[in-house]
Amino acid sequence: MSPPRSHGSLPAPGADLAALLARVARGDHAAFAEVYDRVAAPVFGTVRSVVRDPSLSEEVTQEVFVEVWRAASRFDACKGSPMAWMATIAHRRAVDRVRSEQRAAARDRRSAAPMIAYDDVAETVEDNLDRERVRRCLGALTELQREAVTLAYYGGYTYREVAGLLGVPAGTVNTRMRDGLIRLRDCLGVAR
Amino acid sequence: MTGSRPEPHTLAGAYAMDALDGQDRARFERHLERCEECTREVAGLHEATARLAGAAAVRPPDALREQLLAETARTRQLPPVTHGASPAPARRAPVVPGQRPARFRGRLRAPRLAVVLAGVAVLAAVAVWAGGTVVRSAPPTQSPVGHDVATVLTAPDLAVLSGQVRTGGTATVMMSRRDRMLVFAAAGLRALPGSQCYELWLMGPGADRPAGLLPMPKHGMSGPVVAAGLRTGDRLGLTVEPAHGTGRPTSPLILVLAL
Repeated sequence: MSPPRSHGSLPAPGADLAALLARVARGDHAAFAEVYDRVAAPVFGTVRSVVRDPSLSEEVTQEVFVEVWRAASRFDACKGSPMAWMATIAHRRAVDRVRSEQRAAARDRRSAAPMIAYDDVAETVEDNLDRERVRRCLGALTELQREAVTLAYYGGYTYREVAGLLGVPAGTVNTRMRDGLIRLRDCLGVAR
Repeated sequence: MTGSRPEPHTLAGAYAMDALDGQDRARFERHLERCEECTREVAGLHEATARLAGAAAVRPPDALREQLLAETARTRQLPPVTHGASPAPARRAPVVPGQRPARFRGRLRAPRLAVVLAGVAVLAAVAVWAGGTVVRSAPPTQSPVGHDVATVLTAPDLAVLSGQVRTGGTATVMMSRRDRMLVFAAAGLRALPGSQCYELWLMGPGADRPAGLLPMPKHGMSGPVVAAGLRTGDRLGLTVEPAHGTGRPTSPLILVLAL
């Protein structure tokens, strides 16, 4: 396995992943295994937080990675980070799966508690750099922004459902979601 | 509540978190195709949601890896989306038809006819570019284009420069010193592997400033990218950089234009 091309300066982890994805696009299965090893935990964690059911979460996670394998050539490094690309696929799949199951049978979830796995110590990945940072940045949001963001992202609820859960108008939820995410983006320093 | 139709712009956050369902999602996606700024905003928000994903990391069972690798080993991959491998000069928009010799590379203050025509050609290409149908993987993260392009093009001190890119292709810059802003577009740039992007630089007496990554070419056209904050004595540079761009150029300049 040849290392990704160096460009003289310290390689960003994202750039590394992008180089791996470029190899995946050419059918490099070893590169794909490496991509999996690096992003399986965030993908699985995200899917599980939305889907909840362990075996269904595994199924969806597998679908996500098959999609990554199939569509690697469609990843455009100039338009977003590899992690954003894969996390977006994962979250969309999880949410779509939950909603289609939901249409078949009511989802078994009674509490409105956001499902970020803060206390889910047993299975979470240690040494998670994102977690502390995200926790801090979520803490900097207003309560409504934070609830709207966590219910939507970790809970997989639509904004109308979030509005119902929080008892506020849907329009308010929309603006809080947007403002909250923008603040989160700026706090996390991921803006271009 | 169900009957309300929110202003599309306000839905960017909900969309980025997949909190739009059915019709709401479809409507917003149609809006995204026309709204460069929303596209850019959603891309930025997706970088934030990716960190939310990171914070939720949970190690999957080991068995999943084996199953998955077995499945992908027998799954055919999609071919890349091709963007007219040859620069498609017939797309009514070669940057400077038949007229880009050395004298054209310098500074051209007065918008001579040919120069104006060149700008118009680029604009036509930009229009094609903006209207073309593209597979949306991740939305672009360039500057909002339409409005700023108009600002530059209607500026009384509009100047147009053009130059050959060393590795292939032609670049055109439309610039307004008054507004300290320029619009960059290029035609026929060599295709890059997925791990690399073209990056623009404003290089002045001080430090070089990154001025934007070029989006993937469509119909052979790359851009337009708007760069603001021009300073006196700046030159515009273009390099090939790793996927996410860098803070300073790390590879040889393949284009330099004195602004």
